[in-house]
Amino acid sequence: MTSNKERTPARGVAKAPKRKEPAGKKKAAPAARPVRTTPSKAPTPEVKPRASATAIPVLLLSGEGSLALEYAVAAAAKGYAVHLWNVDPLPAKSALPQQASIVATPTANAAVALEVTISDRAAKQRNVKALDSALPTTSPIISSSLTVTAVEQASWIVGKHRLVGCAALPTYASKLTVEVAPTVFSPRQTLEAVGAFYASLGQRMELVQDRVGLVSARIICQLINEAAFALQEDVARPEDVDTAMQLGVNYPHGPFAWADILGMRNVVAILQALHADYAEERYRVSPLLRQMALGGEWWRRQLEQSPKGM
Amino acid sequence: MFKYIAVIGAGTMGAGIAQVVAQMKCDVYLYDVNDTLLRRAVERIKADLKRAVQKGLMTPEEVLAVLDHIRPKTHLPDMSPAEFVIEAVTEDLRVKRDMLRRMEEVVKQGVVLATNTSSIPVTAIAAGLKQPSKVVGMHFFNPAPIMKLVEVVRGDRTSDDTLKTTVDFASFLGKTSVTVKDTPGFIVNRVARPYYGEALRIVGENLATVDQVDRIAREVAGFAMGPFELMDLIGIDVNLSVTQSMYDQFGGEPRYRPHPIQKRMVDAGKLGRKTNEGFYRYDEFSKKRIDEPGRS
Repeated sequence: MTSNKERTPARGVAKAPKRKEPAGKKKAAPAARPVRTTPSKAPTPEVKPRASATAIPVLLLSGEGSLALEYAVAAAAKGYAVHLWNVDPLPAKSALPQQASIVATPTANAAVALEVTISDRAAKQRNVKALDSALPTTSPIISSSLTVTAVEQASWIVGKHRLVGCAALPTYASKLTVEVAPTVFSPRQTLEAVGAFYASLGQRMELVQDRVGLVSARIICQLINEAAFALQEDVARPEDVDTAMQLGVNYPHGPFAWADILGMRNVVAILQALHADYAEERYRVSPLLRQMALGGEWWRRQLEQSPKGM
Repeated sequence: MFKYIAVIGAGTMGAGIAQVVAQMKCDVYLYDVNDTLLRRAVERIKADLKRAVQKGLMTPEEVLAVLDHIRPKTHLPDMSPAEFVIEAVTEDLRVKRDMLRRMEEVVKQGVVLATNTSSIPVTAIAAGLKQPSKVVGMHFFNPAPIMKLVEVVRGDRTSDDTLKTTVDFASFLGKTSVTVKDTPGFIVNRVARPYYGEALRIVGENLATVDQVDRIAREVAGFAMGPFELMDLIGIDVNLSVTQSMYDQFGGEPRYRPHPIQKRMVDAGKLGRKTNEGFYRYDEFSKKRIDEPGRS
């Protein structure tokens, strides 16, 4: 099997009527007006999942352990060879799919790299730089841009054209849609390659502007923040807040349960990034939420034992 | 446990609450100022129950039994046997307070006076009554017969007994209750604010289009409806007034600041589904959404 063969079905999926990539692009076009320069500015080398010596395309994953594991499982199921590099904490061998292997240096022939560090800026910078120097210029780097914009990440590297941002959070690997943020440097070829990669995972790309928090995480994190402010003011018990939002307005999860799913630390990191980026009081993080992120499971017990619990 | 319940106000919420009570085989005195309003309310309940029969959820006999429990009244003193009062008149502090003051004179000593409100402080409604400790908030959600949640609101002067009776009454009605301190928006309306507020900011900043945000909210976050579809359903004017009221009550807290887009749409008369135009457009007759690709 040649890599060409491997790629063709992915492209095919991308063009299939249901997951039509053009729709995503068309929708994003008006949004692109204010910031994005025309993608056809420079004779950038074509970026696509690369034809490599091995038959199976390699997905290179770096960043947070549990998140990398989710993408590793999703990609392995779709026929990728998954290489984990600089994944921290490293998932247990038994949890990893068979097609996954742990590598000490970034795989030089990786077809696509997915960087899923959420909040550690220094680690992200190190990873992105290393990926840029190791990977062929034709392989896109998709990097979680919830706390650092994609354009800022692109500014760290030489191959600015091939980095796009995305929303990567726990459970997002299994969603039907993925938010992708191109930068002012992104040529059409990069977006096509990224779209083909996501299509091969069964995800439809929704192109949005490059801003911290993107869309879904910004909304969900602010819901959680508001719930934390209410809790801080002793408006109701945390379990009652969760119950109320599920039964009163049919939310898929209560805000505190949702924070546990997405990771309390991730939620706080995203809110802090929004606060720093906009410098608006609106995104001020509830002090209680910050403590909850530090205290882990501890806060629930503490609140339940509170003599004041209404 | 409860035999006679009074529901004051036969609007959408009042009728819905009366239906919930009647379905629990409990007599409900439904009060409003004239017969026309009451007749309309009973018709609405009938229509709702008829749908339940069509779906096979109820028998026609059960429907008759439910309707039999509803006693429309236009004379307030007729409500004197009530063991629990739920007031659901218009969202206006003076009207509500006045109603409860009059009701306090009618019912027996110690009967709980619950007010169904989403935006008026229960403490303010209770002020000026002889026994403010008997006043409690009971925030039902629309449609009351379907939505399982009731926010039980403890005013500053609400007694523990009153609170306990109200929580028991809510579970008697088959509802799940959560106890909430009397603060603006209680839980649901407050915690839901960012869903609309952030979505409006995202669109206002041209970060994504209206239909993109709705799709992402549904497909990535898992909400049943996107924020803009939902605002169209609720009514953009209604949504704005809730936001505005919270913004005012919280002394101008920036998290609740209404977005200029909302104001502009209300000024333009684009109120959502009810005017066939909001963030989306709807066919005048079929009420279905008219998809216009590329339009935001």
